[in-house]
Amino acid sequence: MKSEIIFSGIGGQGTILMGKMVCTAASKKGLNVTLSPAYGQEKRGGRASCQVVISEEMGSPIISEADTILVMDEKSFDDYEGKVKAGGTLIVNSSMINKKPNRTDIKVMEIPFTEIATEVATARSANMVALGAVVKTLHIVDLDDAKAVVAAKMKPALVEANIKALEAGYHFDER
Amino acid sequence: MGEKVFMQGNEAFAESAIRSGCKFFFGYPITPSSEMPEYYAKKAPEEGLTFIQAETEVAAFNMIAGVAATGKRGMTATSGPGFSLGCEAMSYMSAASLPSVVVDVMRPGPADGEILGSQGDYFQLTKGGGHGDYRTIVLAPYSVQEYADFAPLAFELAEKYLNPVVVASDGTLAKMMENVVLPERTSGPERQPWAVDGAKGRPHNDITTCGDGPEQWEAFNLRLQAKYQNIRDNEQRWEEYQTEDADVIIVAFGVYSRVAMAAMKMAREKGLKVGLIRPITLWPFPVKAFENLENKDFFVTELNSGQMVEDVKLAVKDKDRVEFYGRLGGMIPTPVELFNKLCELYMK
Repeated sequence: MKSEIIFSGIGGQGTILMGKMVCTAASKKGLNVTLSPAYGQEKRGGRASCQVVISEEMGSPIISEADTILVMDEKSFDDYEGKVKAGGTLIVNSSMINKKPNRTDIKVMEIPFTEIATEVATARSANMVALGAVVKTLHIVDLDDAKAVVAAKMKPALVEANIKALEAGYHFDER
Repeated sequence: MGEKVFMQGNEAFAESAIRSGCKFFFGYPITPSSEMPEYYAKKAPEEGLTFIQAETEVAAFNMIAGVAATGKRGMTATSGPGFSLGCEAMSYMSAASLPSVVVDVMRPGPADGEILGSQGDYFQLTKGGGHGDYRTIVLAPYSVQEYADFAPLAFELAEKYLNPVVVASDGTLAKMMENVVLPERTSGPERQPWAVDGAKGRPHNDITTCGDGPEQWEAFNLRLQAKYQNIRDNEQRWEEYQTEDADVIIVAFGVYSRVAMAAMKMAREKGLKVGLIRPITLWPFPVKAFENLENKDFFVTELNSGQMVEDVKLAVKDKDRVEFYGRLGGMIPTPVELFNKLCELYMK
Protein backbone atom coordinates (compact mmCIF):
# COMPACT_ATOMS: atom_id res chain seq x y z
CA MET A 1 0.00 0.00 0.00
CA LYS A 2 1.40 3.34 -1.02
CA SER A 3 0.08 6.90 -1.02
CA GLU A 4 1.65 9.80 -2.88
CA ILE A 5 0.35 13.27 -2.11
CA ILE A 6 1.31 16.80 -3.18
CA PHE A 7 0.35 19.88 -1.19
CA SER A 8 0.96 23.13 -3.05
CA GLY A 9 0.23 26.76 -2.32
CA ILE A 10 1.92 29.97 -1.35
CA GLY A 11 3.97 30.63 1.76
CA GLY A 12 1.79 31.16 4.82
CA GLN A 13 -1.05 28.88 3.69
CA GLY A 14 0.25 25.98 5.75
CA THR A 15 0.91 23.49 2.96
CA ILE A 16 4.02 22.13 4.62
CA LEU A 17 2.30 22.00 8.00
CA MET A 18 -0.45 19.85 6.42
CA GLY A 19 2.16 17.54 4.91
CA LYS A 20 3.89 17.18 8.26
CA MET A 21 0.61 16.35 9.98
CA VAL A 22 -0.24 13.61 7.49
CA CYS A 23 3.28 12.20 7.88
CA THR A 24 3.11 12.30 11.66
CA ALA A 25 -0.20 10.41 11.62
CA ALA A 26 1.11 7.81 9.17
CA SER A 27 4.40 7.30 10.98
CA LYS A 28 2.49 6.58 14.19
CA LYS A 29 1.06 3.60 12.31
CA GLY A 30 4.56 2.30 11.63
CA LEU A 31 4.68 3.33 7.97
CA ASN A 32 7.61 4.88 6.15
CA VAL A 33 7.03 8.53 5.40
CA THR A 34 9.04 10.98 3.31
CA LEU A 35 8.22 14.66 3.06
CA SER A 36 10.17 16.69 0.50
CA PRO A 37 9.47 20.39 0.83
CA ALA A 38 10.09 23.06 -1.80
CA TYR A 39 10.18 26.68 -0.78
CA GLY A 40 10.81 29.89 -2.59
CA GLN A 41 13.44 32.14 -1.07
CA GLU A 42 10.76 34.52 0.23
CA LYS A 43 9.44 34.21 3.76
CA ARG A 44 5.86 34.83 2.65
CA GLY A 45 4.13 34.88 -0.68
CA GLY A 46 6.53 32.56 -2.52
CA ARG A 47 5.71 29.06 -3.69
CA ALA A 48 5.55 26.53 -0.86
CA SER A 49 4.84 22.93 -1.68
CA CYS A 50 5.69 19.48 -0.48
CA GLN A 51 5.57 15.96 -1.80
CA VAL A 52 4.63 13.24 0.65
CA VAL A 53 5.19 9.52 0.13
CA ILE A 54 3.70 7.03 2.58
CA SER A 55 4.60 3.39 2.02
CA GLU A 56 5.56 0.13 3.63
CA GLU A 57 9.07 0.24 2.20
CA MET A 58 11.21 3.31 1.58
CA GLY A 59 10.56 4.80 -1.84
CA SER A 60 11.65 7.64 -4.08
CA PRO A 61 11.15 11.07 -2.51
CA ILE A 62 10.63 12.44 -6.01
CA ILE A 63 7.35 11.26 -7.49
CA SER A 64 6.16 11.06 -11.07
CA GLU A 65 2.48 11.66 -10.27
CA ALA A 66 0.36 11.73 -7.13
CA ASP A 67 -2.82 9.98 -5.89
CA THR A 68 -4.04 13.20 -4.28
CA ILE A 69 -3.02 16.75 -5.05
CA LEU A 70 -4.17 19.75 -3.05
CA VAL A 71 -3.83 23.12 -4.79
CA MET A 72 -4.31 26.22 -2.67
CA ASP A 73 -3.70 28.91 -5.34
CA GLU A 74 -4.05 29.36 -9.13
CA LYS A 75 -0.37 28.98 -9.92
CA SER A 76 -0.34 25.62 -8.14
CA PHE A 77 -3.51 24.64 -10.03
CA ASP A 78 -1.77 25.36 -13.35
CA ASP A 79 1.34 23.44 -12.36
CA TYR A 80 -0.24 20.38 -10.82
CA GLU A 81 -3.50 19.56 -12.60
CA GLY A 82 -1.52 17.35 -14.99
CA LYS A 83 0.30 15.54 -12.19
CA VAL A 84 -2.70 13.71 -10.69
CA LYS A 85 -2.72 9.96 -11.42
CA ALA A 86 -5.63 8.80 -13.57
CA GLY A 87 -8.39 7.96 -11.07
CA GLY A 88 -6.78 10.17 -8.43
CA THR A 89 -8.15 13.29 -6.77
CA LEU A 90 -7.47 16.98 -7.32
CA ILE A 91 -8.62 19.10 -4.40
CA VAL A 92 -9.11 22.73 -5.39
CA ASN A 93 -9.26 25.71 -3.03
CA SER A 94 -12.22 27.40 -4.71
CA SER A 95 -11.91 30.36 -2.32
CA MET A 96 -8.88 31.41 -4.32
CA ILE A 97 -9.10 29.52 -7.62
CA ASN A 98 -11.68 30.36 -10.28
CA LYS A 99 -10.35 28.05 -13.00
CA LYS A 100 -12.02 24.79 -14.02
CA PRO A 101 -9.98 21.65 -14.59
CA ASN A 102 -9.76 20.17 -18.10
CA ARG A 103 -9.20 16.61 -17.04
CA THR A 104 -12.06 14.14 -16.98
CA ASP A 105 -10.13 11.07 -15.79
CA ILE A 106 -9.74 12.30 -12.22
CA LYS A 107 -12.03 13.18 -9.34
CA VAL A 108 -12.15 16.93 -8.67
CA MET A 109 -13.26 18.35 -5.33
CA GLU A 110 -13.78 22.12 -5.38
CA ILE A 111 -14.05 23.38 -1.82
CA PRO A 112 -14.21 26.99 -0.57
CA PHE A 113 -11.81 26.45 2.35
CA THR A 114 -11.87 30.02 3.63
CA GLU A 115 -15.68 30.30 3.63
CA ILE A 116 -16.12 26.96 5.38
CA ALA A 117 -13.42 27.79 7.92
CA THR A 118 -15.09 31.13 8.65
CA GLU A 119 -18.42 29.34 9.12
CA VAL A 120 -17.20 26.70 11.61
CA ALA A 121 -14.15 28.40 13.17
CA THR A 122 -12.10 31.31 11.80
CA ALA A 123 -10.57 32.00 8.38
CA ARG A 124 -7.18 31.03 9.77
CA SER A 125 -8.29 27.40 9.97
CA ALA A 126 -8.74 27.17 6.18
CA ASN A 127 -5.81 24.78 5.96
CA MET A 128 -7.41 22.41 8.47
CA VAL A 129 -10.52 22.28 6.25
CA ALA A 130 -8.15 21.42 3.41
CA LEU A 131 -6.40 18.79 5.52
CA GLY A 132 -9.76 17.18 6.30
CA ALA A 133 -10.52 16.95 2.57
CA VAL A 134 -7.13 15.39 1.86
CA VAL A 135 -7.48 12.84 4.67
CA LYS A 136 -10.82 11.73 3.18
CA THR A 137 -8.96 10.58 0.04
CA LEU A 138 -6.34 8.55 1.93
CA HIS A 139 -6.65 4.89 2.83
CA ILE A 140 -3.82 4.95 5.31
CA VAL A 141 -4.70 7.83 7.60
CA ASP A 142 -8.26 8.43 8.84
CA LEU A 143 -10.07 11.32 10.52
CA ASP A 144 -9.31 10.11 14.06
CA ASP A 145 -5.60 9.89 13.28
CA ALA A 146 -5.63 13.45 11.97
CA LYS A 147 -7.57 14.68 15.01
CA ALA A 148 -5.02 13.08 17.32
CA VAL A 149 -2.21 14.93 15.55
CA VAL A 150 -4.06 18.26 15.75
CA ALA A 151 -4.68 17.68 19.47
CA ALA A 152 -1.01 16.82 20.05
CA LYS A 153 0.60 19.54 17.93
CA MET A 154 -1.51 22.63 18.48
CA LYS A 155 -1.87 24.96 21.42
CA PRO A 156 -4.74 23.71 23.63
CA ALA A 157 -6.79 26.88 23.02
CA LEU A 158 -6.76 26.28 19.25
CA VAL A 159 -7.51 22.56 19.21
CA GLU A 160 -11.30 22.70 19.31
CA ALA A 161 -11.69 25.20 16.46
CA ASN A 162 -9.18 23.38 14.29
CA ILE A 163 -10.83 20.02 14.86
CA LYS A 164 -14.15 21.54 13.80
CA ALA A 165 -12.48 22.84 10.63
CA LEU A 166 -10.88 19.45 10.02
CA GLU A 167 -14.24 17.68 10.36
CA ALA A 168 -15.95 20.18 8.07
CA GLY A 169 -13.39 19.50 5.35
CA TYR A 170 -13.62 15.75 5.84
CA HIS A 171 -17.41 15.74 5.56
CA PHE A 172 -17.64 18.37 2.80
CA ASP A 173 -18.78 15.97 0.08
CA GLU A 174 -21.66 14.82 2.29
CA ARG A 175 -23.12 18.34 2.36
CA MET B 1 16.97 0.87 19.74
CA GLY B 2 15.52 4.28 20.36
CA GLU B 3 12.11 5.52 19.38
CA LYS B 4 11.39 6.61 15.82
CA VAL B 5 11.07 10.35 15.37
CA PHE B 6 9.94 12.32 12.33
CA MET B 7 12.79 14.67 11.61
CA GLN B 8 14.42 16.80 8.95
CA GLY B 9 17.71 15.53 7.48
CA ASN B 10 19.97 18.37 8.64
CA GLU B 11 18.49 18.41 12.12
CA ALA B 12 18.75 14.63 12.40
CA PHE B 13 22.45 14.81 11.51
CA ALA B 14 23.08 17.60 14.03
CA GLU B 15 21.21 15.76 16.81
CA SER B 16 23.06 12.57 15.97
CA ALA B 17 26.43 14.39 16.06
CA ILE B 18 25.58 15.83 19.49
CA ARG B 19 24.69 12.34 20.72
CA SER B 20 28.01 11.11 19.33
CA GLY B 21 29.90 13.45 21.64
CA CYS B 22 30.61 16.20 19.11
CA LYS B 23 30.56 19.20 21.42
CA PHE B 24 32.06 21.77 19.03
CA PHE B 25 30.40 23.28 15.99
CA PHE B 26 31.89 26.16 14.03
CA GLY B 27 30.16 27.36 10.93
CA TYR B 28 28.94 30.11 8.72
CA PRO B 29 25.30 29.86 7.61
CA ILE B 30 24.61 28.97 3.99
CA THR B 31 21.51 27.43 2.45
CA PRO B 32 20.85 24.49 2.35
CA SER B 33 23.04 23.68 5.38
CA SER B 34 21.87 26.35 7.82
CA GLU B 35 19.60 24.16 9.96
CA MET B 36 22.73 22.49 11.33
CA PRO B 37 24.37 25.59 12.83
CA GLU B 38 20.88 26.69 13.96
CA TYR B 39 20.32 23.38 15.73
CA TYR B 40 23.70 23.51 17.46
CA ALA B 41 23.17 27.12 18.50
CA LYS B 42 19.76 26.24 19.94
CA LYS B 43 21.04 23.20 21.84
CA ALA B 44 24.32 24.74 23.01
CA PRO B 45 23.16 26.09 26.41
CA GLU B 46 21.28 22.99 27.61
CA GLU B 47 23.81 20.49 26.21
CA GLY B 48 26.97 22.38 27.18
CA LEU B 49 28.14 22.71 23.58
CA THR B 50 30.48 25.26 22.04
CA PHE B 51 28.95 26.95 19.02
CA ILE B 52 30.61 29.78 17.14
CA GLN B 53 29.26 31.51 14.07
CA ALA B 54 32.58 32.20 12.42
CA GLU B 55 33.30 35.27 10.31
CA THR B 56 33.84 33.11 7.20
CA GLU B 57 34.10 29.46 6.26
CA VAL B 58 37.89 29.93 6.13
CA ALA B 59 37.78 30.61 9.86
CA ALA B 60 35.24 27.86 10.61
CA PHE B 61 37.30 25.14 8.91
CA ASN B 62 40.46 26.27 10.72
CA MET B 63 38.60 26.25 14.06
CA ILE B 64 37.68 22.62 13.31
CA ALA B 65 41.36 21.91 12.69
CA GLY B 66 42.11 23.42 16.09
CA VAL B 67 39.55 21.29 17.92
CA ALA B 68 40.64 18.14 16.08
CA ALA B 69 44.25 18.81 17.14
CA THR B 70 43.14 18.53 20.77
CA GLY B 71 41.58 15.11 20.06
CA LYS B 72 38.02 16.36 20.66
CA ARG B 73 35.13 15.90 18.26
CA GLY B 74 34.26 19.01 16.24
CA MET B 75 32.43 19.62 12.99
CA THR B 76 31.28 22.16 10.48
CA ALA B 77 28.59 22.10 7.80
CA THR B 78 28.45 24.16 4.66
CA SER B 79 27.54 24.11 0.98
CA GLY B 80 29.75 24.26 -2.13
CA PRO B 81 30.72 27.96 -1.99
CA GLY B 82 31.72 27.55 1.66
CA PHE B 83 33.49 24.26 1.04
CA SER B 84 35.60 25.98 -1.61
CA LEU B 85 36.75 28.47 1.02
CA GLY B 86 37.48 25.63 3.43
CA CYS B 87 39.67 23.69 1.02
CA GLU B 88 42.92 25.19 2.27
CA ALA B 89 42.09 23.81 5.71
CA MET B 90 41.01 20.44 4.21
CA SER B 91 44.48 20.11 2.69
CA TYR B 92 46.08 21.17 5.96
CA MET B 93 43.99 18.80 8.12
CA SER B 94 44.76 15.93 5.74
CA ALA B 95 48.51 16.52 5.97
CA ALA B 96 48.31 16.99 9.73
CA SER B 97 46.22 13.80 10.10
CA LEU B 98 43.46 15.59 11.99
CA PRO B 99 40.22 13.65 12.53
CA SER B 100 37.55 16.18 11.61
CA VAL B 101 34.05 15.91 10.16
CA VAL B 102 32.68 18.26 7.52
CA VAL B 103 29.23 18.08 5.96
CA ASP B 104 28.88 19.46 2.44
CA VAL B 105 25.22 20.02 1.65
CA MET B 106 25.57 20.25 -2.11
CA ARG B 107 23.69 22.86 -4.11
CA PRO B 108 23.95 23.55 -7.84
CA GLY B 109 26.95 25.62 -8.89
CA PRO B 110 29.23 26.82 -10.21
CA ALA B 111 29.54 29.95 -8.07
CA ASP B 112 26.49 31.02 -6.01
CA GLY B 113 24.21 29.09 -8.33
CA GLU B 114 20.97 27.86 -6.80
CA ILE B 115 19.79 26.50 -3.46
CA LEU B 116 18.19 23.17 -4.39
CA GLY B 117 19.77 19.72 -4.47
CA SER B 118 22.76 18.85 -6.64
CA GLN B 119 25.69 16.45 -6.86
CA GLY B 120 28.01 18.93 -8.54
CA ASP B 121 30.67 18.82 -5.80
CA TYR B 122 31.64 15.18 -6.49
CA PHE B 123 34.99 16.12 -8.03
CA GLN B 124 35.73 18.66 -5.33
CA LEU B 125 35.02 16.20 -2.52
CA THR B 126 36.63 13.08 -3.97
CA LYS B 127 39.57 14.42 -5.94
CA GLY B 128 40.85 16.94 -3.45
CA GLY B 129 39.54 20.46 -3.86
CA GLY B 130 42.53 21.78 -1.98
CA HIS B 131 46.17 21.53 -2.99
CA GLY B 132 48.56 18.59 -2.81
CA ASP B 133 48.23 14.81 -2.78
CA TYR B 134 45.56 14.21 -0.20
CA ARG B 135 42.35 12.22 0.10
CA THR B 136 39.39 12.45 2.42
CA ILE B 137 36.86 9.72 3.11
CA VAL B 138 33.53 10.76 1.58
CA LEU B 139 30.23 9.23 2.77
CA ALA B 140 27.05 9.73 0.72
CA PRO B 141 23.84 9.02 2.68
CA TYR B 142 20.57 8.29 0.83
CA SER B 143 17.96 8.64 3.59
CA VAL B 144 17.44 10.69 6.73
CA GLN B 145 18.19 7.50 8.72
CA GLU B 146 21.50 6.98 6.97
CA TYR B 147 22.32 10.69 7.27
CA ALA B 148 21.89 10.40 11.05
CA ASP B 149 23.79 7.08 11.17
CA PHE B 150 26.74 8.64 9.36
CA ALA B 151 27.42 11.17 12.14
CA PRO B 152 28.90 8.58 14.55
CA LEU B 153 30.38 6.63 11.62
CA ALA B 154 32.15 9.72 10.27
CA PHE B 155 33.79 10.40 13.65
CA GLU B 156 34.77 6.74 14.09
CA LEU B 157 36.40 6.62 10.64
CA ALA B 158 38.08 9.99 11.16
CA GLU B 159 39.60 8.79 14.43
CA LYS B 160 40.47 5.32 13.14
CA TYR B 161 42.49 6.70 10.22
CA LEU B 162 43.33 10.15 11.63
CA ASN B 163 41.90 11.82 8.55
CA PRO B 164 39.12 14.27 7.70
CA VAL B 165 35.80 12.71 6.71
CA VAL B 166 33.28 14.49 4.50
CA VAL B 167 29.58 13.69 4.50
CA ALA B 168 28.23 14.43 1.01
CA SER B 169 24.65 15.54 1.53
CA ASP B 170 22.53 17.66 -0.80
CA GLY B 171 19.72 20.20 -0.72
CA THR B 172 17.07 17.51 -1.14
CA LEU B 173 18.20 15.23 1.69
CA ALA B 174 18.95 18.21 3.92
CA LYS B 175 15.35 19.48 3.85
CA MET B 176 13.61 16.13 3.61
CA MET B 177 11.74 14.78 6.64
CA GLU B 178 11.54 11.06 7.43
CA ASN B 179 11.26 8.66 10.34
CA VAL B 180 14.59 8.17 12.03
CA VAL B 181 15.95 6.23 14.97
CA LEU B 182 18.65 8.36 16.58
CA PRO B 183 21.82 6.79 18.01
CA GLU B 184 22.42 6.23 21.72
CA ARG B 185 24.43 8.91 23.48
CA THR B 186 28.20 8.41 23.68
CA SER B 187 30.81 10.73 25.08
CA GLY B 188 33.34 10.51 22.24
CA PRO B 189 36.91 9.24 22.54
CA GLU B 190 39.14 9.25 25.62
CA ARG B 191 42.16 11.55 25.68
CA GLN B 192 44.14 10.87 22.48
CA PRO B 193 47.86 10.06 22.92
CA TRP B 194 48.81 12.20 19.89
CA ALA B 195 46.73 15.28 20.76
CA VAL B 196 48.05 18.72 21.61
CA ASP B 197 45.96 19.30 24.73
CA GLY B 198 48.70 20.16 27.21
CA ALA B 199 51.56 17.75 28.00
CA LYS B 200 50.42 16.85 31.52
CA GLY B 201 51.59 13.34 32.37
CA ARG B 202 53.12 12.61 28.98
CA PRO B 203 55.80 13.89 26.58
CA HIS B 204 55.18 16.97 24.45
CA ASN B 205 53.34 16.30 21.12
CA ASP B 206 53.93 18.09 17.82
CA ILE B 207 51.46 18.42 14.95
CA THR B 208 53.18 19.91 11.95
CA THR B 209 52.83 19.97 8.18
CA CYS B 210 56.07 21.73 7.40
CA GLY B 211 58.60 19.97 5.14
CA ASP B 212 62.22 19.57 6.23
CA GLY B 213 63.87 18.84 2.87
CA PRO B 214 62.56 16.88 -0.12
CA GLU B 215 63.69 13.43 1.12
CA GLN B 216 61.93 13.88 4.45
CA TRP B 217 58.88 15.35 2.71
CA GLU B 218 58.67 12.52 0.22
CA ALA B 219 58.78 10.03 3.10
CA PHE B 220 56.01 12.02 4.86
CA ASN B 221 53.92 11.91 1.69
CA LEU B 222 54.51 8.19 1.22
CA ARG B 223 53.20 7.56 4.74
CA LEU B 224 50.05 9.47 3.81
CA GLN B 225 49.72 7.47 0.59
CA ALA B 226 50.10 4.21 2.53
CA LYS B 227 47.25 5.34 4.78
CA TYR B 228 45.09 6.12 1.75
CA GLN B 229 45.83 2.67 0.31
CA ASN B 230 44.83 1.10 3.63
CA ILE B 231 41.53 3.04 3.46
CA ARG B 232 41.00 1.92 -0.16
CA ASP B 233 41.57 -1.69 0.88
CA ASN B 234 39.25 -1.62 3.88
CA GLU B 235 36.56 1.01 3.63
CA GLN B 236 34.82 0.69 0.26
CA ARG B 237 31.10 0.67 0.94
CA TRP B 238 28.25 0.21 -1.43
CA GLU B 239 24.85 -1.43 -1.83
CA GLU B 240 23.78 -3.44 -4.82
CA TYR B 241 20.38 -4.65 -5.94
CA GLN B 242 19.63 -7.39 -8.44
CA THR B 243 22.95 -7.03 -10.24
CA GLU B 244 23.55 -10.75 -10.83
CA ASP B 245 21.10 -11.37 -13.66
CA ALA B 246 21.04 -7.72 -14.84
CA ASP B 247 21.79 -6.69 -18.42
CA VAL B 248 21.94 -3.03 -17.43
CA ILE B 249 23.16 -1.78 -14.06
CA ILE B 250 22.22 1.74 -12.95
CA VAL B 251 24.87 3.49 -10.86
CA ALA B 252 23.63 6.35 -8.70
CA PHE B 253 24.48 7.77 -5.25
CA GLY B 254 22.89 9.80 -2.48
CA VAL B 255 19.18 10.43 -2.15
CA TYR B 256 18.94 10.55 -5.95
CA SER B 257 19.69 6.79 -5.99
CA ARG B 258 16.14 6.33 -4.67
CA VAL B 259 14.75 7.82 -7.88
CA ALA B 260 17.00 5.36 -9.74
CA MET B 261 15.70 2.53 -7.56
CA ALA B 262 12.10 3.44 -8.45
CA ALA B 263 13.06 3.47 -12.16
CA MET B 264 14.73 0.07 -11.69
CA LYS B 265 11.54 -1.36 -10.17
CA MET B 266 9.50 -0.05 -13.11
CA ALA B 267 11.92 -1.79 -15.46
CA ARG B 268 11.72 -5.06 -13.52
CA GLU B 269 7.90 -4.92 -13.60
CA LYS B 270 8.17 -4.75 -17.37
CA GLY B 271 10.48 -7.77 -17.40
CA LEU B 272 13.65 -5.79 -18.14
CA LYS B 273 16.73 -7.04 -16.34
CA VAL B 274 17.97 -3.91 -14.63
CA GLY B 275 20.06 -3.74 -11.44
CA LEU B 276 21.54 -0.97 -9.34
CA ILE B 277 24.81 -0.16 -7.58
CA ARG B 278 24.74 2.61 -4.99
CA PRO B 279 28.19 3.79 -3.95
CA ILE B 280 28.10 4.75 -0.26
CA THR B 281 31.75 5.78 -0.02
CA LEU B 282 32.43 8.13 -2.92
CA TRP B 283 36.06 8.00 -1.82
CA PRO B 284 37.30 5.35 -1.63
CA PHE B 285 35.20 4.63 -4.70
CA PRO B 286 33.79 1.09 -4.43
CA VAL B 287 35.70 -0.45 -7.35
CA LYS B 288 35.18 -3.87 -5.72
CA ALA B 289 31.47 -3.60 -6.55
CA PHE B 290 32.35 -3.79 -10.25
CA GLU B 291 34.96 -6.54 -10.06
CA ASN B 292 32.96 -9.61 -11.02
CA LEU B 293 30.41 -8.02 -13.29
CA GLU B 294 31.07 -9.36 -16.78
CA ASN B 295 29.20 -8.52 -19.93
CA LYS B 296 26.93 -5.81 -18.59
CA ASP B 297 26.04 -2.27 -19.53
CA PHE B 298 26.30 0.51 -16.96
CA PHE B 299 23.95 3.46 -16.84
CA VAL B 300 25.42 6.16 -14.62
CA THR B 301 23.06 8.93 -13.61
CA GLU B 302 23.97 11.94 -11.48
CA LEU B 303 22.74 15.42 -10.70
CA ASN B 304 25.75 16.95 -12.44
CA SER B 305 27.30 16.91 -15.90
CA GLY B 306 29.16 13.64 -15.39
CA GLN B 307 31.62 13.33 -12.51
CA MET B 308 31.28 9.92 -10.78
CA VAL B 309 30.95 8.42 -14.27
CA GLU B 310 34.73 8.86 -14.62
CA ASP B 311 35.32 6.63 -11.60
CA VAL B 312 32.85 4.08 -12.96
CA LYS B 313 34.77 4.01 -16.26
CA LEU B 314 37.98 3.32 -14.35
CA ALA B 315 36.29 0.54 -12.37
CA VAL B 316 34.64 -1.42 -15.19
CA LYS B 317 36.34 -3.67 -17.73
CA ASP B 318 34.88 -2.02 -20.82
CA LYS B 319 34.38 1.74 -20.56
CA ASP B 320 32.56 1.82 -23.88
CA ARG B 321 29.67 0.10 -22.14
CA VAL B 322 29.13 3.05 -19.78
CA GLU B 323 26.39 5.58 -20.59
CA PHE B 324 25.67 8.78 -18.68
CA TYR B 325 22.60 10.88 -18.01
CA GLY B 326 22.68 13.95 -15.80
CA ARG B 327 20.50 16.90 -14.83
CA LEU B 328 21.79 20.29 -13.77
CA GLY B 329 20.74 23.42 -11.96
CA GLY B 330 18.70 21.69 -9.24
CA MET B 331 16.49 19.74 -11.64
CA ILE B 332 15.76 16.14 -10.60
CA PRO B 333 14.14 13.68 -13.00
CA THR B 334 11.08 11.79 -11.78
CA PRO B 335 11.21 7.98 -11.72
CA VAL B 336 9.15 7.86 -14.96
CA GLU B 337 11.48 10.32 -16.70
CA LEU B 338 14.51 8.30 -15.67
CA PHE B 339 12.86 5.05 -16.76
CA ASN B 340 12.07 6.59 -20.17
CA LYS B 341 15.70 7.68 -20.51
CA LEU B 342 16.80 4.14 -19.70
CA CYS B 343 14.48 2.74 -22.37
CA GLU B 344 15.68 5.31 -24.90
CA LEU B 345 19.29 4.21 -24.39
CA TYR B 346 18.90 0.45 -24.14
CA MET B 347 15.61 -0.69 -25.68
CA LYS B 348 16.23 0.63 -29.20
